[in-house]
Amino acid sequence: MKLYSLSILHKGATKANLLKAAYDLSSFSFFQRSSIQEFMTFTSALIVERTTQGSRASVKEQEYLCHVYVRNDNLSAVVIADTEYPQRVCFTLLDKVLEEFSRQVDSIDWPSGNPETINYKALDIHLSKYQNPREADAMTKVQAELDETKIILVNNLHKLRPSILIEDEINARKQNSCCEIM
Amino acid sequence: MAESEEEVDVLVQRVVKDIINAFKRNPNIDEIGVIPCPEARYNRSPIVLVENKLGVESWCVKFLLPYVHNKLLLYRQRKHWLDREALVDITCTLLLLNPDFTTAWNVRKELLQSGVLNPEKDLYLGKLALTKFPKSPETWIHRRWVLQQILRQFSAEGQTSKQQQQQGETEQADAERSQQLGDHLARTLHQEMKVCCDAACLYPSNYNAWSHRIWVLQHMAMGNVKVFHDELSSMRLWVSMHVSDHSGFHYRQFLLKELITELSQPLSSATNSPQHNSSTVPSSSPSHHSQAQANGELSGVEAAGEEERQPSFTTIIQLFCQEIELCSDLIHSFPGHETLWSHRRHVFYLWHHWRREYQHYSSNGGSELVHLNDSDPGLQTVGAQSCAGRGESVNGQGHATEAMEVDGASFPELRDSKRLKTGILLPDPPALSSEYSFVSSILDDCCNPEQRRFALAYEKWLDTVIGHQP
Repeated sequence: MKLYSLSILHKGATKANLLKAAYDLSSFSFFQRSSIQEFMTFTSALIVERTTQGSRASVKEQEYLCHVYVRNDNLSAVVIADTEYPQRVCFTLLDKVLEEFSRQVDSIDWPSGNPETINYKALDIHLSKYQNPREADAMTKVQAELDETKIILVNNLHKLRPSILIEDEINARKQNSCCEIM
Repeated sequence: MAESEEEVDVLVQRVVKDIINAFKRNPNIDEIGVIPCPEARYNRSPIVLVENKLGVESWCVKFLLPYVHNKLLLYRQRKHWLDREALVDITCTLLLLNPDFTTAWNVRKELLQSGVLNPEKDLYLGKLALTKFPKSPETWIHRRWVLQQILRQFSAEGQTSKQQQQQGETEQADAERSQQLGDHLARTLHQEMKVCCDAACLYPSNYNAWSHRIWVLQHMAMGNVKVFHDELSSMRLWVSMHVSDHSGFHYRQFLLKELITELSQPLSSATNSPQHNSSTVPSSSPSHHSQAQANGELSGVEAAGEEERQPSFTTIIQLFCQEIELCSDLIHSFPGHETLWSHRRHVFYLWHHWRREYQHYSSNGGSELVHLNDSDPGLQTVGAQSCAGRGESVNGQGHATEAMEVDGASFPELRDSKRLKTGILLPDPPALSSEYSFVSSILDDCCNPEQRRFALAYEKWLDTVIGHQP
């Protein structure tokens, strides 16, 4: 079970803005790594753009699972993992990272910041530590917290619709047109 | 723009040379790969060497591969001669691009047999090919052939040293040589374990890699209990991080089975001797003769008898307990992985059969064995391992006595617990009742539908397969 990338972004009105990212691509073939990193950067931003404020989702793309949390203040985090890695621990990680980031980095810097200017150094360590989910936080804690939150599992990236209106999203979910509610 | 045949010829020869030179420049190359690159950059070699990684730009593969492939076939058909060096270079290039080209491996077999090629070279080439093609069946097959050559060499050298000793060579020189051979064998073994592990990491449930790993142990470490123990413990973390890798768990089942078989030997042989020699065994029923025949060699075992049996017996139970505990732990931590439940079936089945075969030995030395009774919590806290999983602490108390009844002829009921002579407390062995408890505990607090399904299926398996057997 592996975590490949961990990113923090700010969800703007039309686009997501990357603030910081950490990658662990050691399990990939050496010459593939740069294109895989590009794919993950791009996908993380896309997912944040298409996820509603104040919600969590798990999006499956090829053999990866992308877990996203967009907070009510639009600060967002995405972790890209394999399909074995437990989902609950991913959301613990996202919560934790966003909480820490928002304490260390002033919100005034979120809309326009970028990885070079943002001063937050713990992302690599978190990614590394969480490679072994059991060494990281206790899993039972998150389960209780998540029971009330609906997590949407989307089976394909391309099925993520741009969230234009909140009502649209709610209707889509009601019809279960492309998602399963977990 | 089509290249002329001549141009292709020149290009390919240059590329093959570049590849060989890269290996000469850097003997530590540990990975190969193809670099996505649709067009050639002017006058630059498609061979890229970065940090011990050898890359081939993709544009040249369509020229390179058919050309060298064809050249080798022409050689094979005796239509075109290639000297040994050219053969080595061409097969190397070919196999890095397509390691399932059996003919190329076979050419290398011939080179090996004629002494032109060092077997270690082929192990290295295979290892590299596996970094890009971790499943490649032909690579694994060739690898086993090479290892057989190496093993043959080892035993030939072993024979030589015996002869030399008979001819009066010093014992020290002989011991040194054996040591060297032993070291070389151990190194080879460890290298194989590493190659298998790396390939298993690159591709999920890499059956070919794991089968090879098993083959290596069967041919290079049979009967070596330490190696099996070490493998079992070193793989714990790996399987915990690859909980749906069925082949990884199957490997553990193999290790367990071999260890149990090996450790059970003293159990079956010791009981063939008359009991009167063993002063440690109190009044016991006449020895239960199983299949093993008493013979002169066993006399030395008699006296050892009880002492030798106890550690094996304890070790075996500990092994089962640890495996069940690992399984329970993973099932709890990672709900919804069928592999873990499948592993549990295998382990419990193995236990179940072992218990049936060796249960009469326990009644022999019954009063010498510690049997931890669940109703005695005091002893339980003293470092004893409970095999029953987390559910046991809640249900264990009530089920303790039932265990004896349900399982029928299982371990003798001891209300008092005694310490073994060695002072080791035996853990609770696995039991049908504790398995049912485990399933209940899972069903009680699980919200994962898959996990629920697997737990119920396991319960059904216990009912149908285990429950009905005496």
